[in-house]
Amino acid sequence: MAGEVRAGERRQRRGDDPERSFQWIVPKGRKASLYEDLTVDTQPSVHRFMTSGYTCSFPDGRGTWWEDSTALDVETWSAFRDPNELWERPYYQQGAQGEREIEGAVRSARSEALYADMDPAWVEFLRRDGQVQAFVEHGVWSLATRRSRAALADTLTHGIVLYAAVKQRQAQALVIEGMDLDEDLGGFPIEAAKARWLEAPEWQPTRRLVERLGTITDWGEVIVVCGLVVEPLLGNLVRRELLLRGAHRAADPVTPAVIRVAQREGDWWRDFAAAFTRFAVADPTHGDANRALVARWLADWEPETAAAIDALEGVFAGAPGVDFATAQERVRADYEALLAESGLDTAVST
Amino acid sequence: MASQQTRRRSVTKTHERIAQLGWDRDYHQPVPIYDTRYVFPEKAKDPMKQIMREYLPMQLEKDERVYGGFDAALRAGMPTKADERWLQVMKPLILILVFAEGAAGRCMSVVMDVVPNDELLNGYHVQFVDEVRHIGMQMNLARWYTKHTPDPAGWHKGQEYMADNLITRAGINMFSHSFVGDPIAAGFTMMTVIETAFTNVAFVALPDVATRNGDFIQATTYSSVQSDEARHISNGYATMLTVLQKEENIPLIQHDLQQAWWVVHAWVDPFVGSVMEYFSTDRSDNENYITKWDRWIRDDWYRSYVEQLGKMGVTIPPDMFDRARERLVAGLVHKTAPLAFATWPLNFWKFDPLTETDFEWFEDKYPGWYDEYGATWEAYGALADPAEGAILLSGFMEGAPPFCWTCMLACVIDDDMCHRTCCDRHGVERTRFYCSPECRWLDETNPGRYTGDRNYFDKYHGMALSEVIVKLGLLRADGKTLVGQPHLRTDKMWTIDHIRDCDFTVLSPNITSAEAMGLPSGSWHDDGDPFGAVQGDGNGFQPVTLYGGGVGQAGDGRVRVDDLARAAVGDTPWVKL
Repeated sequence: MAGEVRAGERRQRRGDDPERSFQWIVPKGRKASLYEDLTVDTQPSVHRFMTSGYTCSFPDGRGTWWEDSTALDVETWSAFRDPNELWERPYYQQGAQGEREIEGAVRSARSEALYADMDPAWVEFLRRDGQVQAFVEHGVWSLATRRSRAALADTLTHGIVLYAAVKQRQAQALVIEGMDLDEDLGGFPIEAAKARWLEAPEWQPTRRLVERLGTITDWGEVIVVCGLVVEPLLGNLVRRELLLRGAHRAADPVTPAVIRVAQREGDWWRDFAAAFTRFAVADPTHGDANRALVARWLADWEPETAAAIDALEGVFAGAPGVDFATAQERVRADYEALLAESGLDTAVST
Repeated sequence: MASQQTRRRSVTKTHERIAQLGWDRDYHQPVPIYDTRYVFPEKAKDPMKQIMREYLPMQLEKDERVYGGFDAALRAGMPTKADERWLQVMKPLILILVFAEGAAGRCMSVVMDVVPNDELLNGYHVQFVDEVRHIGMQMNLARWYTKHTPDPAGWHKGQEYMADNLITRAGINMFSHSFVGDPIAAGFTMMTVIETAFTNVAFVALPDVATRNGDFIQATTYSSVQSDEARHISNGYATMLTVLQKEENIPLIQHDLQQAWWVVHAWVDPFVGSVMEYFSTDRSDNENYITKWDRWIRDDWYRSYVEQLGKMGVTIPPDMFDRARERLVAGLVHKTAPLAFATWPLNFWKFDPLTETDFEWFEDKYPGWYDEYGATWEAYGALADPAEGAILLSGFMEGAPPFCWTCMLACVIDDDMCHRTCCDRHGVERTRFYCSPECRWLDETNPGRYTGDRNYFDKYHGMALSEVIVKLGLLRADGKTLVGQPHLRTDKMWTIDHIRDCDFTVLSPNITSAEAMGLPSGSWHDDGDPFGAVQGDGNGFQPVTLYGGGVGQAGDGRVRVDDLARAAVGDTPWVKL
């Protein structure tokens, strides 16, 4: 693009050997970060170096990648950067560390007999609904991983794939926690959780929402809807307000570890989605159209998400020590803050 | 002190629980964005049972070993000890393999979009995460070479060069088959052919050559990559077993597996064979490429895998497999390598001339090699010095074979080369050349698949070579020395002035071949198109020949799924040679 200053050009000006850096990268900062070196332009496109067009196309005329895979448009998709610069090594470091923390909590709960201190009413709640959130995470995972391929830059594809990966890990962590509790306390079959997911009236609006997510064909919509609506409202309500806060009050020794790890991963995705939205709505050429589109997406998904969380009041009622109204207020406030952070006028979304 | 370990959970039981996370949708059905011709049974089996709690620390441990290896290689002085001929060819090799890893990941996404069996989805997704790992490791490797090896030129604009390079863009074309088109056919291309058959050559045999040339960091990285491939191969097998449960899929499997086999062979064998044999200085290896191929491809894949599918009702005639090997024996690698070397000014790495030691090795491994190819290599070596004022390309270009429309490499086997004519959207007849009848078959039976400005030299036809080099940005930081060189020396480097002095005009072999044969234009370049491609290339609009006769049964010239299935049953030869 006109006006681009590539990493190598800066090095050359400083007298460094320009051939010892990746000059194709247009760094976000003064010099290319390790994340940028390893991620940017690993997916060449007709906008980035494939001057002869795509050599392989779909029978219906779509090229290797196709521009209308999202209704959003920006001048340069490859300019997007994950603000936390997640690439494979830190992903495995953080993921493995999270799993170690959970395993440590389980080990400690067993060796110190901490399960015995748990509020019996909380144990009953966990038996009934503790694993159901795993179906939500699994459903989001299934959508994200299917849409990752069509994203129009490597920095986006990698982000969506890693988001799917953390969802898969979160779902599995809840199921494994159920297995461990089953072994120690009994009465935590996954089948019972699945029955709640499939049949309990409180969970049906959530299931309907998650199933509807599976109809999204636009990868940009996946980032916006999952990042700005479903995770902050539904995800935080269940994970943070219900499972994390409830577990702390009930002297649950393991669930807080499971959820803290998930929430840390959630913070990364929150930043990613907010940065993506800012990137789209601030685009010099297409920003206004993107802003209107994002507003339509929010208006489309927020009411159904709100209905899903409203219906979870009954689930909260079964958990000792959590207050549904307060929880709703907290996630609503966070949601509004996130929209503002994403460069959106909160008025358009409500 | 409390035990440091939690009780080990049963992997099978854990996986059984995790598998319960799938459910039949009641409110909304998932909407796929890719189409498949395959149908799926109710049940499938995931052979991997991968659980993130075990997967994450396992991969982290492997990562730590690889990145520790990078530091160790530096401390051991590997950058200056490794053979430079070998280090040069890492530039195209690593970068095209990074694209391959991205293609493999994206393959998982398209497969997941159409496979309804929850049992399989977990394994597919873990593979996508693996591929993100492979991209990170291999780009780290590229970065390490860039920062530490003697001559980094070429790495510095590597992705830019790779996407538009004569040889590597043909690789992009091939790997794109694994995430474009029918997802299951794409899955066979990646998981069943590339990963099951060819990763043993690329990620086991090739690192062996690297080590022989003093490059143990390449071997460290790719051995770690290969440790993940076993799971990816399992994904391919699970996919195969799943679709095999439906009899109506069998003709499609037979058709798609053979097409996947051919398109992968057509690029990987000449490319990897050339890298292995023509960029190794170490000649201690008693195996040539065909010996390795027989071990890894023929014995471990074709005989142990493909032939065994016959027990499950899949009949894959041996013709296409035998034909690939015949092409190797006929010199596919040895006829491709000199052409690649002759195009050195258009590439982003150095091409070291062969030596007497190399000649002896080739003659020993391929008796008669010197008589057939020796003179060319002697000439290449003699013209490496710019003082000679000539480049081998000028001697090659007039008689050079055209490039294949499908695999995009040169049609080097004379008896295999064939062509057909197609009309563009204006009704103008143009000629497409193919390296083999099989590549023609791929084009004929996949309307609309092969797009873009495919014949590399068409757009440069009539331009001065120096002009093309400048246009492609193939100059070093001094603005005059070429990135590619025909030798490894630091003196006697070719500059753009040397090229200008040669006064050489680029000709497209596709255009000149069509003219010489009295055929309609061989050019598929259109200056008026943003990407230089002749649009509406006729492949979807003109009658498409299937197996030597017939068009789609709808009579509109389009070949549809049921046409392929009809043609795939019975004793009909797969390709009418």
